[in-house]
Amino acid sequence: MQTATDSKPGAVVFDRRQVYRPFLERLNPIGSQNHLADDLIVAPDHDPRDTGEPPIHVAFANTAELTRGSQMALVGGIGSGKTTELLLTQKDLSRHTDAVNIFVDMADYTDLSEVSPGAVLAAAGIQLYSHACLRLQKQGKELPETIKSAHTKLRELALGKTAWIHEDEDYGYEPDRFVEVTTPGVMKLRFPPLWPKAEQIQKPLISIASPLLESDSQITLLIDGLDRLIQPELFRQFAEQDLQALKGTKISVIIVAPLLAWYDKSRFLQDYFDVVKHIPAAAVGPRNSAFLRQILQRRGALDLMDRTEIAAIAKYSGGVLRDLLTLARSSAEYAYRDDEDRIGRPHVNAAIKQLGNRYLVGLGYAQKRLLRGLTNDGKFPIENSSARELLVNRQVLEYFKGGVDYFAVHPALAKVLPKTE
Amino acid sequence: MTAFSPTNAFRLLRRLAAVGLDTPSLYLLISEAPNIQAIQADITAEAQVQLGVGPRELAATDVRIDRLEDASAQDPDRQVTLITLDHWMPKLVKALDRNIVLLTRSGAVLLLAKPEVAERLLAAAPNLRNRLTDVLEIRLDEAFGGPMP
Repeated sequence: MQTATDSKPGAVVFDRRQVYRPFLERLNPIGSQNHLADDLIVAPDHDPRDTGEPPIHVAFANTAELTRGSQMALVGGIGSGKTTELLLTQKDLSRHTDAVNIFVDMADYTDLSEVSPGAVLAAAGIQLYSHACLRLQKQGKELPETIKSAHTKLRELALGKTAWIHEDEDYGYEPDRFVEVTTPGVMKLRFPPLWPKAEQIQKPLISIASPLLESDSQITLLIDGLDRLIQPELFRQFAEQDLQALKGTKISVIIVAPLLAWYDKSRFLQDYFDVVKHIPAAAVGPRNSAFLRQILQRRGALDLMDRTEIAAIAKYSGGVLRDLLTLARSSAEYAYRDDEDRIGRPHVNAAIKQLGNRYLVGLGYAQKRLLRGLTNDGKFPIENSSARELLVNRQVLEYFKGGVDYFAVHPALAKVLPKTE
Repeated sequence: MTAFSPTNAFRLLRRLAAVGLDTPSLYLLISEAPNIQAIQADITAEAQVQLGVGPRELAATDVRIDRLEDASAQDPDRQVTLITLDHWMPKLVKALDRNIVLLTRSGAVLLLAKPEVAERLLAAAPNLRNRLTDVLEIRLDEAFGGPMP
């Protein structure tokens, strides 16, 4: 806590940064492998919707290990801890030496504002190729030509290619001469057929995976990022194309899905996936509150604040894990700003107000009316588009307690929401 | 607009210095339009004095999503990125929202916007909103009566 200064030889001054910096570094709210390695993650000890069931990451890992080729979806609101669950699953899966676990955040591969079906297959194929190369290298084997050419083909399909052709070259393709005629069949397919692009990418992907599959490896793709598409219908396209293309390949998939897919009337998630898990916000209660407090304590909160401040942060986070860390971080920054050595209630209150204001900004009359309706009468029409926006934006949180799903206004927002218009 | 905690460039950079640039942070800074240029200059000066780095300044039109992460990871002198959103750009906001993880892996990213743009941004970008470290109303030093201690 004290550092030597050069102002007076031998003098020691207090450096408050050293009080807060280690804590703030541990509060980085982005789930990462570093947090697992540093033992900062508090793994849930049960399924959030069923205390008698194992936690989500255990259930996913068991399914992937026992039923190769299974497809699983993880759904939850923004900041609910989906990435952390994927990382925990990946860690569990790594207990077997033949496990090939491929963690992909789609944003690392493609601009998610312009992504199209086939991209998941392409990203998975590129990663699988690296694993196949490493595996064969370790075994002292040459990479077969078929895999090299499959990889070249896959990259071309994924990233495009530029070819030089003669400008007068005739392809013999005259689209105007053909007219599309569709004759409906007697059967409506459960899922649409693969698009040509997805089918094209599927072939090299399977070639690349073949040496791993032939040696009975347990391949699991953990796909993060598509929940940020928000709209269930956009996500659905990837399931119907990319994931469908992986059916029957013995490659397991765990993918995060947007929260609205959970509330989609078509029940697509439940129909399509073998296993679907939902992470609701952690409802207030002794068990969940202890879990939230433990997350902060694991990161060193008790060194800087009392239990009452930790409890207040847990309460006003609404059980949203990222908000929990954001509130702790803001509180620490306010205490530092005020030249305090410990985080006090005024700093926590300021952080809660800031978070509440962040949720308050941009709310229109109709949305405020919905929020008041929920607060006063417990009514929340989830089929209403404004209501869904509130849910996506985490102004309203979805909870599950005692076998019942219910909604509540985010407690930080409730604190700053004007009582009347 | 909803009132957020006020700050100035000195206090903001002091906060960043306390946290250190090893911890990623993403701030939305709201400023009245006429002050934006002066605030950009204040932030640049304070970053050089307090952190010893020159921020990478980007206008909204210059932002390339795929380059943001690479640039901040590879250049230790550019670990502060200041993006000025001087007008509403829905396409950029959508790209920032969906690729938000690229902005929150290393260094500090400061989004500077006038109130109308900030309000629309918060409403239209749920992923980004959830990952913000804080939203602050940034004022010129004079508005605080000079730098705060």
